[in-house]
Amino acid sequence: MTTITVHCLGAFRTLGDSFVVDIDNMSVASIRAAVSSSFIAMERPDLNTVLTRSVFAEGDELLKDHATVSGSEVSLLPPVAGG
Amino acid sequence: MRPSQEVKSAFCLRWLEVKLDLFARNDGERYVCGLIDGPCQMEGLDRLVQDAAHGAIAQFFGVVRNHNEGLSAEAVDYDVHPELALKALDELCEELCTNYPVNLVMIHSRGLVRVGESSVVIAASSAHRKDALGAVSEAIDQLKIRVPIWKKEIGPDDELRWLDGHSLRKD
Repeated sequence: MTTITVHCLGAFRTLGDSFVVDIDNMSVASIRAAVSSSFIAMERPDLNTVLTRSVFAEGDELLKDHATVSGSEVSLLPPVAGG
Repeated sequence: MRPSQEVKSAFCLRWLEVKLDLFARNDGERYVCGLIDGPCQMEGLDRLVQDAAHGAIAQFFGVVRNHNEGLSAEAVDYDVHPELALKALDELCEELCTNYPVNLVMIHSRGLVRVGESSVVIAASSAHRKDALGAVSEAIDQLKIRVPIWKKEIGPDDELRWLDGHSLRKD
């Protein structure tokens, strides 16, 4: 198992600046599944609706779900609303 | 000296003369984009893109309003992913300067911006008006759907509302 720190942005900041998930492989899809389970455990199932429209990033790269991460930190980006 | 070099030189010189407290900034050949803590300065933006060969300057100021979706608002707190936002702004400016013959400035706020203050400022200059107007219009449209920035609206009783937006997910 690998521990990944997920940095929260936008609406996910209601959970704090970050939280951790444990994953058994380094795919983004695996992180997404672990984050979804964490939302249930944190009694925030409502955030799973936002999660389906959110994207993960490592450094300054947006990641598709079939990609893998190389480090131990990702950012979780909900739908953007600048301007 | 080629005209493009002349434009770059004058453009960068004007930019350096303006003391804006940006915490992140990228300079292209014909553009500057950046992020600033707190509200954006609206005055003097036109000077940054002025060019003796350009007969048009178009500007857009995005200003925090006192209502949204039927609810009162006092301010907006902007959350930003600085590295990704600056990268997205840079790519957007590159595209716009490829598609339009303009000088361009685009700056967005991070943190608290109150009603009446500006959260985003964009200016473009060009030889003729259509290019400047087109670049500014496309800039704000694209910024809203591409740049990792989020709005937390603050109501009169300090109630907080994260606003929904455009998904960056592509799979």
